[in-house]
Amino acid sequence: MENKKALVFGSVLLSGILTFSLYGIGSSIASDDSKHEHDREYEYRDKGTNYSTKSVGTNKLYMEECGSCHMAYPAQLLPTQSWQKVMLGLEDHFGENAELDAESHNSIESYLVQSAARRKGESRKLLRNLGNKTPLRITELPYFIYEHDEIPCRFITGNDKVSSLSQCSACHQNAEKGRFDEDDVVIPGIGRWDD
Amino acid sequence: MKKISVILIVTAACLSGLPAQASPEVDKLLQKYQQQGAAVAVPEQGKNLWYSKNGDRGCINCHGSTPADTGRHVRTNKAIKPMAASVNPERYQDSKKVEKWFLRNCKWTLGRLCTAQEKANTLDWLNSL
Repeated sequence: MENKKALVFGSVLLSGILTFSLYGIGSSIASDDSKHEHDREYEYRDKGTNYSTKSVGTNKLYMEECGSCHMAYPAQLLPTQSWQKVMLGLEDHFGENAELDAESHNSIESYLVQSAARRKGESRKLLRNLGNKTPLRITELPYFIYEHDEIPCRFITGNDKVSSLSQCSACHQNAEKGRFDEDDVVIPGIGRWDD
Repeated sequence: MKKISVILIVTAACLSGLPAQASPEVDKLLQKYQQQGAAVAVPEQGKNLWYSKNGDRGCINCHGSTPADTGRHVRTNKAIKPMAASVNPERYQDSKKVEKWFLRNCKWTLGRLCTAQEKANTLDWLNSL
């Protein structure tokens, strides 16, 4: 009888300990995550919850239409006026024809304008020293140039597996998800980048 | 046993004689091109257009010389799924998409719109591969 009581008590105690330790592990993972989020210098993510369902649909269209020829660059990487200028010239889009039907054109433009870099929030750094310029390329942003100016040419233009700074995802492992932390950089044939 | 072999051989022979892919969207487009003035599609001419060059530009710049293989965008390096219908039938399920790419790519490659006949020929050829 005494043994049975001890067994029941032991089981309750053990399950209690297990529950607490699991909770502990869970919260430490969560806090690591939030710390890591905080550590990120900047991160571009669709704030899905802030967009209407219509915008999410448009986003899919952007991925399909623009992403079929090149990485669908996160909209937050260019200011509004740049996206408007890009959309005006799709018939000669950096030497390619990227024409869209009127409906898709309007839909994609409104998504891009709505999600473009802003003076406030995570994307504000991209507008640094931009003045009144309207660059057509993300690689022309002063902030972009500043962030990449220490990387030797042989790592990029001289590297067959990268070839150009426009190939974000060649080195930024999570570029497609809109994440550009230095921690995620692996230069093909070279390795991790740490400046 | 012999009978079964004969049946199998006859069936295989019949199947190989059929047009490679029957896609309702392709049929719809071919009909549309005929309404726009095209005669019956000539796949051989589609093949000629595919391999022709306008200066240094041609279909194969990005799609590669074998439509059954994956191509690579000449500028962005992005992989382009095969064009042969037998390998990638998904390409020919949406006529709006087919027309979009004819518009963009004819303008880039030839510097003009393709005629209904050229589109019919090329589509018929790619659909037969």
